[in-house]
Amino acid sequence: MTKLYLLILVAFLTACGSPTPRLPSVIQQAHTLDKEARRAQQTGDLLRAHYNFTKLLALQQSVDDTAAVAITQLNLATVAYQLQDQPAAFAWLDKIILEQAGVYPKEARLTAYFRKAVFLANAQKLTEATLALQSAENLCEQKCAEYFGLKVLQARLLLLKGDVKNAHALATELSKQSTIDSTELANAIRIQAAAEEKLALNTEALKHYQTALEMDKKLALSSRIAEDLLGLSRVASTLGKSEEAVIYSRRAELLIHSKAKTISVKPDQKE
Amino acid sequence: MTLLADKDERFKNLFGKAMLFILFAVVGISLALLWTGINKGAFSHQSSIYFVADSGQDLNVGMPVKLSGFKIGKLSRLTLDEHGEVQVETSIETKYLKLIRQDATVSLKKEGVIGDGILEFSRGSESKPILKSGGKVAFERASGLEQAVLEVKERIMPIIDEFKVILVDPQGDVRQTLKNLHEIAVGLRETQQRLNQVLGSVDSNLNNELQPLLHSLRQSAANAETISLNLDRNLPSLLSKTDSSLENIRLATDSLNQAVQQTAPQLPGMISEARDTLGKTREMVGSTQEVVDGLTTSWPLNRSVPALETTPIKVDSHD
Repeated sequence: MTKLYLLILVAFLTACGSPTPRLPSVIQQAHTLDKEARRAQQTGDLLRAHYNFTKLLALQQSVDDTAAVAITQLNLATVAYQLQDQPAAFAWLDKIILEQAGVYPKEARLTAYFRKAVFLANAQKLTEATLALQSAENLCEQKCAEYFGLKVLQARLLLLKGDVKNAHALATELSKQSTIDSTELANAIRIQAAAEEKLALNTEALKHYQTALEMDKKLALSSRIAEDLLGLSRVASTLGKSEEAVIYSRRAELLIHSKAKTISVKPDQKE
Repeated sequence: MTLLADKDERFKNLFGKAMLFILFAVVGISLALLWTGINKGAFSHQSSIYFVADSGQDLNVGMPVKLSGFKIGKLSRLTLDEHGEVQVETSIETKYLKLIRQDATVSLKKEGVIGDGILEFSRGSESKPILKSGGKVAFERASGLEQAVLEVKERIMPIIDEFKVILVDPQGDVRQTLKNLHEIAVGLRETQQRLNQVLGSVDSNLNNELQPLLHSLRQSAANAETISLNLDRNLPSLLSKTDSSLENIRLATDSLNQAVQQTAPQLPGMISEARDTLGKTREMVGSTQEVVDGLTTSWPLNRSVPALETTPIKVDSHD
């Protein structure tokens, strides 16, 4: 019996030690390029990231991997946007959105619409952003992973359009929901605070800016922290807490200054 | 009565004159024969040397016997003995016997490629005693053209037969190789088509890539203009600092020159070593990469290596 156990053990060890099957060289090369491109994007080396994603796209197209092609085009759009090249970013997204034959997966089209809506909102093209957001929501049907983010963007657009009441209502509803996406939750709370600030609900605004600040600090998102600090400064000033307002303002100033220095050395990948 | 006029003075002693003429002719012919005989070695002392041949083929009485390309005798007699072997006697001029040793051999060769047959003596070993008259030597037939052709034929024919088998066999390597070549040619056409597609897509992608680069260039040009304005303001003070810096650089250059002169003789060796080291390092990095790749795909390390991301880079509603 002991011999049998030993034989089984040897068989298992042999199986563990056996070499794994090698992938075809094109796929291995694509994996390497994808890793390098993502790493470059994370470290702020955007031109390298763009170059690697472009090469990766050519490889993926050569083996007809349409799902991977869609993801790489989305990544190229993101990198192009971070390179301040908005026309190129929109062009990459439109390649997915305008494809009529249904070549790309539904999830990729949804993400493309979502990103286009965000970029348009940043560019203050609110009507077009709303249309893109509606297209994304139609594809999502309230059951996609980005659903919470879509709703937060809707609240943001309402606030930007001046529909403060509806923006506040939606953001309040979202901030009460439980989600694993803490970045979007912090965004929702910040929108809620901004709406309350405009509605002159300053005490609530102060409280929610504080909450958003704590969350953004945990997520280490510099530009969002600065936004929260500036909001706190404004609300504190309105409430007559001028000393606090100066401190918040100064903290925001220092943060923006340090971030500008960081960008001049190495652009932050997130903001 | 005599037929001719005996009174003619020219016919006096005619018989004597005729006899004298014939005598001169006979003496001349004899001298010529003697001279030829001497030249041919007919009067030189001959020694007999014997050998046994398996066959009398190509052996003829009178055929020349040579040593180092010079004729030293001839084959004088051929006889078939009671064992069916051919006993051969050669007559060699005795003066040449001292050049031949007892272990010498005689071989039957052709003069040239298709010439007459000759018997060629080898000298033998210097350590052996000189061959004596009546001695025996070993015999061998040198391989002639005919034999060489036969040997080549014997070797080539099996190869040709094998080739025939290989070429005809449908499962043979040649047929299989031709089949594979055909498949490769078809595959190459498909690869070419795919390459054309890839090149087309790369072309369009490059166009997309150029746009952001041009945008960046425009920004860089704007930055350069700003820098230029700043330079205009700061240049005078910079120039004064530059003067002192140049002096420092000159001093540093002098020091560097000294250092370079000291180290220059060692530089070629160092560069060579550096190249070697660099090459080895590259090889090592390549090998290490392969090892790491292998390890990261094997249990248990594959569990600690992050899986390949199949989702796009995350962007939220405020990015």
